[in-house]
Amino acid sequence: MTHLDRIVSRVILLAKLPGNKPRCEVEKELRAHLDDLAEEARSQGYDDEAAARIVRMRFGQPEEVAAAFASVYAPERLAKRILQSAILVTASTVAVVVAIGTVQSIAALCTANSIISTLRDIHRELFGFAAIVAGYCSLYAGERLFPTSLARTLLPSVTLGLWLAAVFGWLIPQHGALPLVAFMCAAFGRLLQRVEIPLVWLAGTGGPLLIAWALCGPLISGWQFPWLVWLGLTISCKALREIVRLFERVFVEDFA
Amino acid sequence: MPIDRELLKGSIALLILKLLSERDMYGYEIIQESVHRSQDAFEFKEGTLYPALHQLHKRGYLRSEWRTGENGKQRKYYSLTAAGRKAARRSEQEWFSFTKVVNSILSKAHS
Repeated sequence: MTHLDRIVSRVILLAKLPGNKPRCEVEKELRAHLDDLAEEARSQGYDDEAAARIVRMRFGQPEEVAAAFASVYAPERLAKRILQSAILVTASTVAVVVAIGTVQSIAALCTANSIISTLRDIHRELFGFAAIVAGYCSLYAGERLFPTSLARTLLPSVTLGLWLAAVFGWLIPQHGALPLVAFMCAAFGRLLQRVEIPLVWLAGTGGPLLIAWALCGPLISGWQFPWLVWLGLTISCKALREIVRLFERVFVEDFA
Repeated sequence: MPIDRELLKGSIALLILKLLSERDMYGYEIIQESVHRSQDAFEFKEGTLYPALHQLHKRGYLRSEWRTGENGKQRKYYSLTAAGRKAARRSEQEWFSFTKVVNSILSKAHS
């Protein structure tokens, strides 16, 4: 890689241009400019090293150029982020509905209940699905926004959790506890999925549920541990992990 | 005498629009022309020209196309759109009004 390539690469890396087309255009355009600059310096009798120095001096700091490009393309970048987030949330919601629907159908089969009546009532669990997606995705958003600080990584989840507590307390005061527990299970599940020890993340989906059950078991499921809820949450978290991985593969240019 | 960078930054769009109102140019050519006409008084970091060009392009003032030059090199040429021509005239008028006001203040301050 020549020094000219390094300048262009640095600008492209830091400018975070939205999409391949503008990236290739800017790359080609800057490269042509730098070639012209270098050629001009050499035609004035400078050797390669001096020409490189002149190019750097006349072109300016790549960071400064990248920041100016980033500011020009900020609206497009924001729109792309919003679209990507909407895709992630939609895919996650579908995955959670499918995962929990499957668990409930299997449970209905095992207990000789009607699958149709089980699935007919699945819309009643809307808050639960939303809470699982919100818990998982808010922690993932924290990871992306603040990759270096755990305290800051947790910030979006904690903030959203407090808001949801207020909303659920107002909308469904009698049944607000379970969606909140689901939210915490999903967020802790995601948090422990970062640990590289296999199956540790299962404690994330089980921990908050176990505490909630120990503190107010009868409100949730009577005095029997809600295994079915835990199973649904765990499979949902596993499915969400795959969704997130797929998401990062599809939008690879933004996660490079 | 070199011109203050901040002052130059604020007028770069006007300079681009004005130069392109005369003929189609590519980035390097715009800089060469500016430096030549300013008798080397313009010293700005050349990399910052491109974000300004892209901004004007996004606003619909410029169109661009890649052309191959005589030496076989590909260059991205910019030209003004109808909106760009209007913007160039408007910016030029604004600039003259602005400098007239500043000059009148400065000349009174000197007298």
